[in-house]
Amino acid sequence: MAISNAPLSLLLTLVFSLLSPSSPTSSDLVADLLTLESQSPSGVIRLSDPLISRFLTSAAVPRPFSLLIFFDAAQLHDKSELQLKSLRSEFALLASSFIANNAHDPSSLSKLFFCDLEFRDAQSSFSLFGVNALPHIRLVPATARNLKDDSHQMDAGDFSRLAESMAKFVESKTKLTIGPIHRPPIVSKTQWTVLIAAFLICVPFVVKKLISGDTLLHDPKVWLAGSVFVYFFSVSGAMHNIIRNMPMFMADRNDPSKLVFFYQGSGMQLGAEGFAVGFLYTIVGLLLAFVTHVLVRVRNVTVQRLVMIVALLVSFWAVKKVVFLDNWKTGYGIHMYWPSSWQ
Amino acid sequence: MAASEDAKASSLRYAFGNVIAFFILLLIGILAFSIRLFSVIKYESVIHEFDPYFNYRVTQYLTKNGIYDFWNWFDDRTWYPLGRVIGGTVYPGLTLTAGTLWWILNSLNIPLSVETVCVFTAPIFSANAAWATYLLTKEVKGTGAGLTAAVLLAMVPSYISRSVAGSYDNEAVAIFALIFTFYLYIKTLNTGSLFYATLNAIAYFYMVCSWGGYTFIINLIPMHVLLCIVTGRYSSRLYIAYAPLVVLGTLLAALVPVVGFNAVMTSEHFASFLVFIIINVVALVYYIKGILSPKMFKVAVTLVISVGLVVCVAVIAVLIALVASSPTMGWSGRSLSLLDPTYASKYIPIIASVSEHQPPTWPSYFMDINVLAFLVPAGIIACFSPLSDASSFVVLYIATSVYFSGVMVRLMLVFAPAACITSGIALSAAFDVFTRSIKFQLPGLSGNSPIDAGDTSSGSVVAQNETVKTEKKEDPGKERPSRKTEKNEDLSKERHSRKNKKKEKENVEKISVKPQEEKRLLVLPLEASVIAIFLLVLLGAFYVVHCVWAAAEAYSAPSIVLTSHSHDGLHVFDDFREAYAWLRHNTEVDDKVASWWDYGYQTTAMANRTVIVDNNTWNNTHIATVGTAMSSPEKPAWEIFNSLDVKYVLVVFGGLVGYPSDDINKFLWMVRIGGGVFPHIKEPDYLRDGQYRIDSEATPTMLNCLMYKLSYYRFVETDGKGFDRVRQTEIGKKYFKLTHFEEVFTTHHWMVRIYKLKPPKNRLRGKTKKSKAKATATTSSKRSVSRKNPWH
Repeated sequence: MAISNAPLSLLLTLVFSLLSPSSPTSSDLVADLLTLESQSPSGVIRLSDPLISRFLTSAAVPRPFSLLIFFDAAQLHDKSELQLKSLRSEFALLASSFIANNAHDPSSLSKLFFCDLEFRDAQSSFSLFGVNALPHIRLVPATARNLKDDSHQMDAGDFSRLAESMAKFVESKTKLTIGPIHRPPIVSKTQWTVLIAAFLICVPFVVKKLISGDTLLHDPKVWLAGSVFVYFFSVSGAMHNIIRNMPMFMADRNDPSKLVFFYQGSGMQLGAEGFAVGFLYTIVGLLLAFVTHVLVRVRNVTVQRLVMIVALLVSFWAVKKVVFLDNWKTGYGIHMYWPSSWQ
Repeated sequence: MAASEDAKASSLRYAFGNVIAFFILLLIGILAFSIRLFSVIKYESVIHEFDPYFNYRVTQYLTKNGIYDFWNWFDDRTWYPLGRVIGGTVYPGLTLTAGTLWWILNSLNIPLSVETVCVFTAPIFSANAAWATYLLTKEVKGTGAGLTAAVLLAMVPSYISRSVAGSYDNEAVAIFALIFTFYLYIKTLNTGSLFYATLNAIAYFYMVCSWGGYTFIINLIPMHVLLCIVTGRYSSRLYIAYAPLVVLGTLLAALVPVVGFNAVMTSEHFASFLVFIIINVVALVYYIKGILSPKMFKVAVTLVISVGLVVCVAVIAVLIALVASSPTMGWSGRSLSLLDPTYASKYIPIIASVSEHQPPTWPSYFMDINVLAFLVPAGIIACFSPLSDASSFVVLYIATSVYFSGVMVRLMLVFAPAACITSGIALSAAFDVFTRSIKFQLPGLSGNSPIDAGDTSSGSVVAQNETVKTEKKEDPGKERPSRKTEKNEDLSKERHSRKNKKKEKENVEKISVKPQEEKRLLVLPLEASVIAIFLLVLLGAFYVVHCVWAAAEAYSAPSIVLTSHSHDGLHVFDDFREAYAWLRHNTEVDDKVASWWDYGYQTTAMANRTVIVDNNTWNNTHIATVGTAMSSPEKPAWEIFNSLDVKYVLVVFGGLVGYPSDDINKFLWMVRIGGGVFPHIKEPDYLRDGQYRIDSEATPTMLNCLMYKLSYYRFVETDGKGFDRVRQTEIGKKYFKLTHFEEVFTTHHWMVRIYKLKPPKNRLRGKTKKSKAKATATTSSKRSVSRKNPWH
C-alpha cells in the first residue's frame, strides 16, 4: 500500500500543478517524468488522460523528450492471439534495458520515456491518437504537434521479434542508442545453488546405477528413439526456425483471414511446413524398417500382406508428396539426360 | 566327401563373389570420378570459385620452390601491409597431396600441368572416398551394405557440390580422410589390432593436415568411447582403438603448424583427454577386478573411489580454470556457433555473413541427399538390430552430424557420408528381406502342382530341405524328391550356414527361445515383396536421375565463368577473367588493389596483384576498414584507401546482366562488419524504414557511399533509364561525377569495374580559383585543411 501511495501523491501534485495557471517549463516536465520513471519498477510510466494533456497536448513544441507509448487494455489480456501480456513484458524489458544502458548519460536518459496507457483510464487519449486496434505501440517524437499524424506507429514486424526489434525501431527513429537488452536469466542465483546441490546429491546414486547397469541409458530403445528424433528434428529444419525465429505459420498477405503454412522460395521455411516435411522424411524410413525387421517375424500372412500394402501406399504417397513440394518450393526442373539420337 | 565338396564349392563361390565385388568397386570408382567431370565438359578445365584459387596458387609455389620454401613462405601479396605467413596458417594436406601427385606424374614422364592435377584431384579422391565408405560399411554390416553405401556415396549431391573437377578445396580430400579414419577406428575396434590402431593415428594425422573439420573426429570418437563405457560395453579392443589414437594422434596433430599447440590447448580437444583419463581408470578397474577376489575388490573400490574422486575434482577444477580464463571459454567462434546455434548471428557477423554458414531448410536436405533422407531412419533402426560397437558408432555419427548439418548448411558435407552409410545399410537390409522372400517362394507357388518337379526353379525350394520351414502350411516341397541343380543347393546351404552362424551368436544369450521359431525362414508375401522391390528400384532410379541432374546443372558452374541460356542461345560471361587479365597486363607489379574480401584470392592468383583483404578472414579489423571505406562517401573513402597505398578499387556489379551475388547485394554486410569496428557507420543510415533499397527512396547516406557510386557510375548511359536488373528497380541517383576516383576499366558485361584513385590535387589550385568562385573555393579549402597528413 505504501508503494502505491507515492505515485498517487505525485499524481495529485501533478493534477494540482495542472490546475494552477502558470504552465510548467520543459525542465519541470522532464524532472516530473524522471520521478515517475524512477517510481515504476520497470521504468515504464503509467499515463492517464490528465498526464497526456500535461506532457503532450499542452506542452510547448518541440518538447525536450520523445515518448514511446504502449497502448494496453487489461480486459484483452486473456485473448491469447493478441499477446498483449508478453508484448507488455517485452516493452518493460526494453525500458529497463534503456535505463540501465544509459545510466551514465543523464542527457540521453531524459530524451526518451517509456509509457503505457490503460484503455479504461484513458479512453479519450486512445481516441486522441486514433487507436482502435491493439497491440499498438506509438512513438511520439519531440516535434510532434498533431499526436495522431506526427507520431510513428510501430509496425507489426517491428515488435514481432520482441524487445530487440523494438529497440531497432526506436534507434532508427530517435537516433538514441538502446544497447543490448538485459533479459533476466532464466534461472536465478538461488535456483542455481539449489540445482547444483541437487545435482551433487544425485551424482553418487547415478554412478552407482551406472555401474550396476540398469539405467535408461542401457536400454537401446531409448537411444533408438533419441536418434530418430534428432534426425527428425534436424531434417525438418527446426534449427533454421530457431535461429531465424520463424513462426509456425503466417497470415496470407493478400487475404489476411487465410493462413499460409507453406512458403514458396527455398531460402526460407515456416515452422509447420518444416515439421510436416520432416515427418514425411521420417515416416518412410520407419515403415521400411518396420517391414524389414518386425513384419517378417509375424506369422500371419494376411496381416503381413495388409500391413505391407498400407506401408507401400503410405511410403509412395510420402515420397511423391515431398518430390512435389520440393518442386513447387524450389522451382528446380529435375530431368533426365537421354542420348540425343533418341529424341 | 560331401563336406569337402561343399567346402570347395563355397570357397569357389566366395572367390566369385569377391571378384564381382572387386569389379563393382572398380565401376563405383569410375562412376564417382566421371560424374564429377560435367564441369570440365560443360565449361572447361578451370579452377572454380574463390578458395580453390588460393590453394592452386599455394600448390604452384610448392611445386616451383619445394617443400621447405613452402613451409616458410611469407606472402606479401595479400593483407597489405600486414602480409600473411602461409606455411603456418594453411592446412597443407590438400596442397601436399596434389603436389605429390604432380611430382609422381612428372617423374613418370607424364607432363601434366599443375592446374590439370589440381582440377582432377577432387574427383580422384571422391573415388577413394567411395572405396573407404565400402570398407567402413563392410566392417559394420557386411559386404552388401558396403557396396550399396559406396555406390550411394559415389554420387551423393552434397559431396559432388564440393568435389566436382576444378573444385580444388580442402573438403575434396578431407571427406576421404574422414571416412578412412572412421573405418580404421572401427576396424581396430573389431579386431583389437595395434597395427590398425597405428594406421588410424596416421589417417587422423592426414585428416588434421587437410581440414579444420578434424575436430569433429576428435570429439566424435571420444563420445563413442564414453558411450561404450557408460553402456557397459568396455573391452580391451576399445582401449586399443582409443588410447593410441589420442596419444599418437595428438602428437602428430601438433606437428601441423596451423594446429600446433592448439592440439592440447583449446577446448575442442579437451573432451578427448577427459575420456582418455576415464578410459584409463576404467581399464584399471577392470584389470584389478580380474586379479582380485570379489571381496577384496569391494575394499579396493571404496579405497580407489575415495582417492579417485579427489584427483578427479582437482583435475576438473584445473580444466575449468583453464577454460574460464579465455573469454570464449577456449572455443573458437565456429564451434561455439554449433553448440549455441544463435551465437554467430549475435556476435560474429563475419561468420554469419557467409552463405554456407546459414542453417538449411528442408529443401536443402532434399537437394543434397535426396531420397537418402527417406532411408536414413530405416538405417538407424537396422543399426540397432543387433547393436554392436561398430553400429553404435554409425548411429552416433549420424545423430551428431545431422544435428550439425541443421545448424550450418556447410556441414551437410559431413552428414552426407553418414547418410550414405545408413541408407546403404537400410537398402541392403530391405533388399535382403525382399529378395529372400521372392527367392524362396517363387517355386512355392508352382510347388502346389505335383508335375513340375523337374524344372530348375522348383529345385531351389527343395533345396530348402529339412531345416527350413516356410510358414505356408500347404507347401509340400519338403518331402518331394527332385533333381537339384548344384548351384541352388549351394545357395541355400550357404545361406543357412551364414544364417545359423548369426543365429548361434544370438542364441548364446537367449537359449530359452523356441528352436522351432529360430529355424523358421523369415519371409514376406511374394507379390508384396515384388512391388516393394520395384518401388525401391524406382526410388534408386530417381536418386540417380537427381544426382546426375545436380552434378550437371546445379553444382558444376565454376562461378568464374558464367553462362545463361536465353531464347537466342547461350551467353557466356567471362568478365572476371577479363578484369583480372586487364589488371595483370595494365598495372604495375606492386600496385595494390582493394576489393571486398570475396575477390581477394582470385586477384592474387589470377592478376598477381597485392590485395588488402582476402577470403582468409583472419583479421576482422582489416576487413572492417575496407567495409568502412566502401560505405563512406568518396572523400573519406579515398583517404582510407590512400592510407593503405591502394591504387585500384575493384567492384563487382551485376545490375546490367542480372548477376545477383554482386557487391551491392553484399553491401549490407560491409556496413555491418565496418560498423562493428568503426561505430560511425550505422546500419540504419543505409536503410529506409528498415528496407534496403537503391531506388529514389534510398537514404542520402546510401546514395552517396562509395559502393553505390562505383557500381552505378555511368550506368544510366547503358539504357537511358538506369534500370537495375538484379534489384528490379530504377536506380535512385543517375547522373553524378566522381571526384576522387576515375574509371579505368569496365568489362564487357559491366560485371567488374575497376577504378583508379585520382592523384591528390595540387593544393595551390584552390587558391587560384578562389577569386573566381567563392563556393568552390570554400569546399576545396576545406578539403585541403582536413586532408593534411597523407603526404607528410
